[in-house]
Amino acid sequence: MTVTNLNLANPFRAGLLAVGLLTAPAVPAQDVPFVPTPQVTVDEMLRLAGVGPQDFVLDLGSGDGRIVITAARKFGARGTGVDLDYHLVIQSEESARQAGVEDRVKFLQQDLFKTDLGQATVITMYLLPAVTRKLVPSLLNLKPGTRIVSHDFDLGDWKPDRKTYIRKNVFLWIVPAKVAGRWRARLALPPIERQLELEFTQRFQEVDAHARLNGVPMQTWEVKLEGDRVSFALVDSADRENEATLYFEGRVSGDVMEGNLVRGAGSTRVTAPWRAVRSK
Amino acid sequence: MRRAWFLALAALAWAVCGSAGAATPGSPDVPTPYVPSTTVAVDEMLRLAAVGPSDLVADLGSGDGRVVIAAARDYGARGLGIELDARLVEQSRVHAREAGVEERVSFRQGDVLVADYRDATVVTLYLLPNLVEKLKPRLLDLRPGTRIVAHDYGFSDWKPDRRVVISKSYMLYVVPAKVGGKWRLEAELPGVGHELDFDLEQSFQEIRGGARVTGGYLPAFEARLEGDRISFVLVDGTASHRFEGRVTSSLEMQGEVRSGVGRTLAANRWRATRVIGVGEADDVKPVTQ
Repeated sequence: MTVTNLNLANPFRAGLLAVGLLTAPAVPAQDVPFVPTPQVTVDEMLRLAGVGPQDFVLDLGSGDGRIVITAARKFGARGTGVDLDYHLVIQSEESARQAGVEDRVKFLQQDLFKTDLGQATVITMYLLPAVTRKLVPSLLNLKPGTRIVSHDFDLGDWKPDRKTYIRKNVFLWIVPAKVAGRWRARLALPPIERQLELEFTQRFQEVDAHARLNGVPMQTWEVKLEGDRVSFALVDSADRENEATLYFEGRVSGDVMEGNLVRGAGSTRVTAPWRAVRSK
Repeated sequence: MRRAWFLALAALAWAVCGSAGAATPGSPDVPTPYVPSTTVAVDEMLRLAAVGPSDLVADLGSGDGRVVIAAARDYGARGLGIELDARLVEQSRVHAREAGVEERVSFRQGDVLVADYRDATVVTLYLLPNLVEKLKPRLLDLRPGTRIVAHDYGFSDWKPDRRVVISKSYMLYVVPAKVGGKWRLEAELPGVGHELDFDLEQSFQEIRGGARVTGGYLPAFEARLEGDRISFVLVDGTASHRFEGRVTSSLEMQGEVRSGVGRTLAANRWRATRVIGVGEADDVKPVTQ
């Protein structure tokens, strides 16, 4: 949960760290100093991530364990904290016992780069940008919909899906599904069946798409991706007398995206299911 | 949709330019030409405003009446069209009868700048920027929560609450309650006290401010205003207090404050009353009804 290379608020620790860096460390080199996250910020991180009893929270660089313990105590979640510092791991276990959540949390002395991230539904971290930058590729490979929260430091080019400012900046990212490539769908919209081809381009959760409806190229609008949820709109103007916007919403699962589409608005709207498959 | 006689010529010029913006600034007397919105545009405006059976939709510059008629026919709303061109008003009435919605819509011949549409819950406009700007003061005086949808041309300084681009741009503005000024905030906040001096500054729907406490100041984080709904967060040493509520009049707002998170969350009522200094009373007008 913790960081800053120049921590002026905590000169003692910053000093220790500086000494630690100058002398040969007896413990594995710590990439990240321990700076505790204020409790209000811990609360906000977990609130923003929408943590609940079904969640498994993994805290990368768990320090004194407060994020994982808060997740268990206040939000009913389970969780694991990993930290390189053995003493902080022991301290965290003790704090968990005092909070009465030791059966739902675990602390491991472990390198975060050697930690299996796949078990988590929520990942919390407070790491230096140089460290998070190395983590980004692994984070992007997590199950779509996995939530990542951090504070103060963002993930560079990967823009947060949400951001709040309550004393500190708190960021939320939702791991996006991979949608880049060509997709084909058949739309059952009477009276004419329509063939839809989509070509998605993607950079993190930022997506765009080119479409062809019955072979006619058309612009897509409001293309959005959040986790595994995709949405976009097309203006169906094949029939000039009966123009309407097609609003697509769906979920992505591997090489299939499916959901419902609405043609038009108001009482004249028509709803139909749609399903697209990625072409190899 | 668009008042005016200009008709073919202006409409053609408009279509050729692609953007009327170039022709408008500095020529405030150019009347908005009559350019009918497409079905797609009408739908998008009414959809963005989430129009439903309890709404009264006023279309400023209603042209041949299509927005108002669609609101009544396809969304179950009532409608009011205001249009300068008497022939278009007459045509609108004919269209309304043909659509079988004449009982739920009315059309008035008149200038949108002086017309009375204060009962509207939704206002739609597709007018040139100079006219949109002129309408702004009266639109801001509508009942808080009134939704305004503009098409292509929005306000210069009032940012939309939502914006959608589907072929063209559509902007939704929610008329904000007037909350700027000094308030006395009453709430049970353990560790903070239960009466705070609370100040707010307002620019359209953007608000900022904070509470004065003994020996300090608590900034209001995440302060938001949408129509008459207000929310903000005050933070003391140990917990955040999330205020959510409604502005019930120009003098009062109230709601619920949730302190803490998850299982430690405690909810209480809060209320704020406007503090009016000597000689200030005249500046505080009642909320437009």
